[in-house]
Amino acid sequence: MTFGREMTGDRDDRVGCPDDVDLDRVWLGVATEVWRRRPGLAERLAGRALRSPGLARALVTTASLLPAWLIATAVVLGAGMLATLATGTPFVALFAPGVAAAGIAYAYGPGIDPAWELSQCMAVSDRMVLLVRVLVVFALNAALGLVASAASGTAAAVTFGWLVPMTAVSALALAVATVTRSANAGVAAGLAAWAITLLSVRSASGQVIPAVASSALVLPYLAFAAACGAVAWFATRFPRGTS
Amino acid sequence: MNVEISDVTRRFGRTQAVAGVTLRTGPGVFGLLGPNGAGKTTLLRMMATVIPPSSGRVRLLGRDPGGYGPRREIRRRLGYLPQNLGYYPGFTVAEFVEYFALLKEMPPGRVPRAVATAIERVDLGGRARSKLRTLSGGMLRRVGIAQAIVNEPELLLLDEPTAGLDPEQRVAFRALLRDLGERATVVVSTHLVEDIGAACSEVALMDAGKIVFQGTPDELTARGEGTGAAGDAPLERGYSAVLAAARSAAAVA
Repeated sequence: MTFGREMTGDRDDRVGCPDDVDLDRVWLGVATEVWRRRPGLAERLAGRALRSPGLARALVTTASLLPAWLIATAVVLGAGMLATLATGTPFVALFAPGVAAAGIAYAYGPGIDPAWELSQCMAVSDRMVLLVRVLVVFALNAALGLVASAASGTAAAVTFGWLVPMTAVSALALAVATVTRSANAGVAAGLAAWAITLLSVRSASGQVIPAVASSALVLPYLAFAAACGAVAWFATRFPRGTS
Repeated sequence: MNVEISDVTRRFGRTQAVAGVTLRTGPGVFGLLGPNGAGKTTLLRMMATVIPPSSGRVRLLGRDPGGYGPRREIRRRLGYLPQNLGYYPGFTVAEFVEYFALLKEMPPGRVPRAVATAIERVDLGGRARSKLRTLSGGMLRRVGIAQAIVNEPELLLLDEPTAGLDPEQRVAFRALLRDLGERATVVVSTHLVEDIGAACSEVALMDAGKIVFQGTPDELTARGEGTGAAGDAPLERGYSAVLAAARSAAAVA
């Protein structure tokens, strides 16, 4: 049974074909092989690591993992690296948290994922898809940031110091995006919070470097990130009340 | 019974979209009729486990979707075509259908053949490797139907499935519905009365969040006989008569 026509069984194509050959079956076998998609190496590895080809495939549909987005991220961090080399101010460390927050907020959600409504009723839960996407976006941003930061020749404390505030800002962007169901709101919240943090530190100490290099801020950053993570977890639960 | 809904309500803020619906249905094609804003889509979204009810009880395929494990099992056996299905424009037809087969946790080895079968069933074999951005609205609707049926669902929920289909495709689609309904519970939400008459064994008519009629298409047709209700076809007159009676009863109450 097909939608608009029989596949091959009732067509003139049967002329000369033995009656005991099921052409529908033959055609399906051909179509199966012709249309079969061969996943790339990265997708195969991700599928194995995640033990779910569906989750691996979900990474391909992530807005902030598309090549154009990754190139834009690399350009921003590259510009930061050049600015750092030219001025001595650690721009990479200042840019990276904001860039990552935007990527995290755009990992998932209504208006960003075209098939969001449909993905909410899949056996692979939308929360799991979100978690995997967020982790991969974060890891890629961290890797790109570390390369740019190391290439800009900043001190080790600065080179790695921004990873902690990046975690906090990204977690805030995720929490706001999931609560408001708006990626743009998440980006705005993340960027605004990071800008406020930098300005506050600068007004208190006269420079911005302590915002990424001060060991005294590590615990507050991590506590804030954990709280935001809990909010995002709660916001993405399947609401109760079905029975 | 594959769908058991008892006194279910759903509110969005002050708006009550579904108001005390009770519904039970097994295998076959079940039509959900009603005017725009009647609550059909909200009821279907609850059946699809996209949203939970505000109150009442839902059991799907003998399971309670409130628990993670049962919900996951329901979703593996579910097919859903939303009213507004989004697409990844860079995906081909086959890639799109395959993606949702994987998200439904079909065994990976079975996916390629299931994808080919689903695409052929909606007669898109000639466009299987076309990018979605190149397809017409009717073709995209058929892609949506293909992803819904790729896992041979036991419960298939279709929201306005014939929107954008030409008359020939709609006729063929009704035949597909009847075929699917022999094994599964197919719930079709529509405001096109002729789809119901041609494909459904049972029909419910919703208005203002409530079911105001439930029975066979013939019984709905009979409600319109001799009433002078508006409509070009007998089933449309039954539809109009039931709606008018429900609204006048609500106005009196």
